[in-house]
Amino acid sequence: MSKDVFITGCGSYLPGEPVTNDAMEDHIGRIHGKPSLLGRRALRWNGIETRHYALDSDGKPFDSNAGMSAKATEAALADAGLGVEDLSFLAAATTQGDYLVPGHATAVHGALGKRSMEIASFQSVCGSSLMAAKSAWLNIRAGEHKIAAACAGEFSSRWFRPSFYEGTALVDEKGRARAEADFLRFTLSDGAGAILLEDQPRRDGVSLKVELIDIVSLADRFDPCMWAGASVENRAAISDGWSISGPLAAHAQGAIALLQDFELLKRVIRAWVGVYLEKVDVKRIIPDSVDWLLCHYSAKSLREEIVSLLEKTDAMIPQQKWFSNLPRVGNIGSASIWVMLDEFLKSGRLKRGERVLCVVPESGRALVGFMMLEAV
Amino acid sequence: MDARAPHDVSDVLRKLAVVFTQFEGRLEQTPLIRKLTRGRFELADYRAFLINLRQQVKEGALWMSRAASNVDDVHLELRSKLMRHAVTEHRDFRLLEADYVATGGTLEDITNAEKNIGSEAVSAWMFHEASQPNPFGLLGAMWIIEGLGSIKAQEWGRMAQQRLSLPETAVRFLLYHGENDSQHIEEFQEMLALVLPDERVAKRIVRTAEVTARLYALQIEEIA
Repeated sequence: MSKDVFITGCGSYLPGEPVTNDAMEDHIGRIHGKPSLLGRRALRWNGIETRHYALDSDGKPFDSNAGMSAKATEAALADAGLGVEDLSFLAAATTQGDYLVPGHATAVHGALGKRSMEIASFQSVCGSSLMAAKSAWLNIRAGEHKIAAACAGEFSSRWFRPSFYEGTALVDEKGRARAEADFLRFTLSDGAGAILLEDQPRRDGVSLKVELIDIVSLADRFDPCMWAGASVENRAAISDGWSISGPLAAHAQGAIALLQDFELLKRVIRAWVGVYLEKVDVKRIIPDSVDWLLCHYSAKSLREEIVSLLEKTDAMIPQQKWFSNLPRVGNIGSASIWVMLDEFLKSGRLKRGERVLCVVPESGRALVGFMMLEAV
Repeated sequence: MDARAPHDVSDVLRKLAVVFTQFEGRLEQTPLIRKLTRGRFELADYRAFLINLRQQVKEGALWMSRAASNVDDVHLELRSKLMRHAVTEHRDFRLLEADYVATGGTLEDITNAEKNIGSEAVSAWMFHEASQPNPFGLLGAMWIIEGLGSIKAQEWGRMAQQRLSLPETAVRFLLYHGENDSQHIEEFQEMLALVLPDERVAKRIVRTAEVTARLYALQIEEIA
């Protein structure tokens, strides 16, 4: 019999002070010293007002992805009344760790110190958070571990330094970055979050029983939509990627940058909605039974026709049930869902018996994950 | 005001939305659309695309008319809608031919072209379905084909225009379709309400959408 598993602690770590929209471009650095063409539009679209960076305003790092991930993990442990010495399994997620090799979990474990443990690394984009959570969940469920943490961290801003773009094919002769590169600079920021899972609920306070974690990849049908390691033109041909052409040539081609295809994103959004509707249709997700929706995507950014489709198919979760801190903490990729869950739990809104649906769409190569939790 | 549809209609709409997104995923994997999304689309591809779309565009109004003639007196409102729809669309293939000519192709080439294997299948399937008494399943086929018009056509048209630097006169069919269909879901919901609730009909509509989507994708797959 597989065991019930409970989230008994949640933690987050946001580096430095919040950085406002007016200050953010100077903070990450202007490409060739010039203002972005798209920045304002990107900010209007994503609705972000403040975010955090682990770079100071001179562009110097004062933390690492692993350091932030470890701090969030410690916070989740502390929230559950535990310490690193109690942890026997760590699943770590990120878009890009501090090293290319070895995996992110090794660096987080190194930063945590104190004891040996089993680890697992998950590298994708936002969805890596749920991959790590699923691993931690199933490890406890199968009786392999009693106490496990799933953390997720991002240090996106270091990718946004001008040196990643200047002198590459991503910048035109006027010194302007192409849209695929520029947009994400105004979208992503830094931080980490973590959850602590146990085979029993907390003695005091509310725990979250994990009911399901479903992750669906549609990489069979879509080319990469948000990626790094290949140029815009050759992104579908992995044989032509950075690892083949070598770091210097890849940099010149604009392959060493985080890139996003916005035309494809529109199709990917419809595909996410399709996966969700399918879950609703087979009653894997019952919208009326959801009391809170934590979605790593702002309701504001959903186009009117998508909201209308969700309403007409009895699949919309009304906006008053949505909880989000995205506008204040920024889009922290894989860490976003845990940072959101942490603030939500600490807000005292949740009551026993209520259900929380976490939705994590990942544009990377069209993936979407769902996690249903019940407050006990 | 409650924007929600009655459950029978919303259930079918949900299933149809799932069929459509899976259909989009399948189209995305076809060689022709891969060329388009990967920046490898050539003028010859665009011409082939128009040639191979033409048959189904031309026949759309015809199977819709046939379907209308098989709708009984109890469903006169649906019959009216189908007939109006057929009238609206039955000349569209001329626009498509004009686009083809504007790319530098000849009218003979596009009017004399044979149906590809997928087009044969779509055509046979549509006329077969339309020949049944009260062929309400075809609402599922309309969902797919109209969805292409309202969601995919403009997207493809813009990509092709951008990639090949085509004049506006060569992409009117794809672009014009996109402009026409903002009321798409509303109208479709009304049509569904004319034949639902009926479990058998509901199933048939979804099944017809699935078959139409698969055969339509086959038509696109067959454009090398």
